[in-house]
Amino acid sequence: MSLLTVSNLTKRYHRGDKTIAAVDDVSFHIDSGETLALAGPSGSGKSTIARLVLRLIEPDDGRIDFEGDDFLALNGAALRVRRARLQMVFQDPLAAFNPRATVARVLDDPLRIHGIASRSERPRRIAALLERVGLTADLAPRAIHEISGGQRQRVAIARAVATKPSLIVLDEAVSALDVSVRGQILDLLLDLQRQERIAYLFISHDLGVIRAIAHRVVLLDAGRIAESGDACAVIDAPQSAIGKALVAAAPRLNRTKQDAS
Amino acid sequence: MTALATIRDLTVTYRRDGSEVAALKSINLDIAVGERLAIIGESGSGKSTLALAIARLLPASSAVSGGIEWPGLAHAPLGGRDIGFVFQDPSASLDPVMAIGKQIAEVAHTHLGLTWPQAYAKAKHLLERVRLPDPGSALRAFPHQLSGGQKQRVAIAAAIAAGPKLLIADEATSALDTIVQAEIVALIRRLVTEDGMTLLFISHDIALAAELAERIAVFRHGQLVELGTTAEIVGAPAQAYTRTLLDAHIGLDAKPLLNRAGLDV
Repeated sequence: MSLLTVSNLTKRYHRGDKTIAAVDDVSFHIDSGETLALAGPSGSGKSTIARLVLRLIEPDDGRIDFEGDDFLALNGAALRVRRARLQMVFQDPLAAFNPRATVARVLDDPLRIHGIASRSERPRRIAALLERVGLTADLAPRAIHEISGGQRQRVAIARAVATKPSLIVLDEAVSALDVSVRGQILDLLLDLQRQERIAYLFISHDLGVIRAIAHRVVLLDAGRIAESGDACAVIDAPQSAIGKALVAAAPRLNRTKQDAS
Repeated sequence: MTALATIRDLTVTYRRDGSEVAALKSINLDIAVGERLAIIGESGSGKSTLALAIARLLPASSAVSGGIEWPGLAHAPLGGRDIGFVFQDPSASLDPVMAIGKQIAEVAHTHLGLTWPQAYAKAKHLLERVRLPDPGSALRAFPHQLSGGQKQRVAIAAAIAAGPKLLIADEATSALDTIVQAEIVALIRRLVTEDGMTLLFISHDIALAAELAERIAVFRHGQLVELGTTAEIVGAPAQAYTRTLLDAHIGLDAKPLLNRAGLDV
């Protein structure tokens, strides 16, 4: 049985007297330990799907099953417990953290809130989490705004894995990183997936990265699924119009020079 | 090669919290008339500082030594007239409460001495050239009514309104999605060719730079690491750092990092 099943998900926004379906009858599933990528142009609905799956917003229609339960029907304590299993990492970790917090505080919160470790045990757990994501324990007292962007995204990943999730939503999580750092973060994500069978919902505009790290891809256009399948197969030979346009637009190092259009 | 600008021993230092940070260190670089030159680098490489120094837009708190000469111009360059600048975020560079027609016409009115009716006619023509739909009514539109890509087209129209010799695009497509990015890159290439402008294209993306530029300058930690033709930089880089950047690019032909056999569901 799949870890996450999204069925006929729909989210409409109203602007003036117009109704826009940001997400329109979208269905997909993710298995344990699998990476499913969502790609598409701006406004295709990929970030809205992420927010729906995380229950940061509620859908107008459709169903989300997570770890065997009707996720949209959960509330109160049951939802809180299940939220620990579903974590998120966003593009800009500076915006995702309390800017006045230290690294230790950022990692202490989930351990405390979800009752994972006692007060006396938490410093040791924080040190272990930092080491798990390739940082050293002496980073713990540093302020979040003092550390580099790559370190910050590692802390965001440490925070996400602190509650032992089965699924992490990664919304453009490597897009703002320098290329030399990006490769290291992708390696870290793949290592965590191998070791702990974490599944990823990987949202990105970068088809090169998706092809390198995702098992399957869903291409979205105007809130609807245009095409889906094995990531390499879809990106190597897209069938939909949007898939062809996305592949054609991806920058290439060795493209035959074309004339101005 | 006729130089539009020659940069000699350019050093720029920012003062921050009492300490000094060298953003550019003794840069020597010639920009040829009519070329498309890309400046690439990661965060803190100094690429945006170079763009600001060339456009004389550095903050007053910065200390500059060395200099930039303009053998390709008959006079010292004036920002907006001789140098057009396109920034990453058009929402921040366009005035949110001024109709876009006026924002473009103002450049032509100020720098070319056109009357307002002439300047508006020019603005309409420029909106046609940047392929904004329905340019006549677009003149009266405000930035918030446009998409990100359309706003960047307007910013480009304003940047070229006074007929600059040099167009600087600083991460001008980085906030756009891939499809719109490709359209804007094609637009910049076409406008630069049609108007005989020199292009300085600042980017973190070596593949994007390679698609547009004839020469590429690689920056790191405020220093110019390597300068060469695009074919040299991409095909036979001399410096290890350039090779690192090329290797870090994950193209559509890259070997998947994923061990597919590892997934046993």
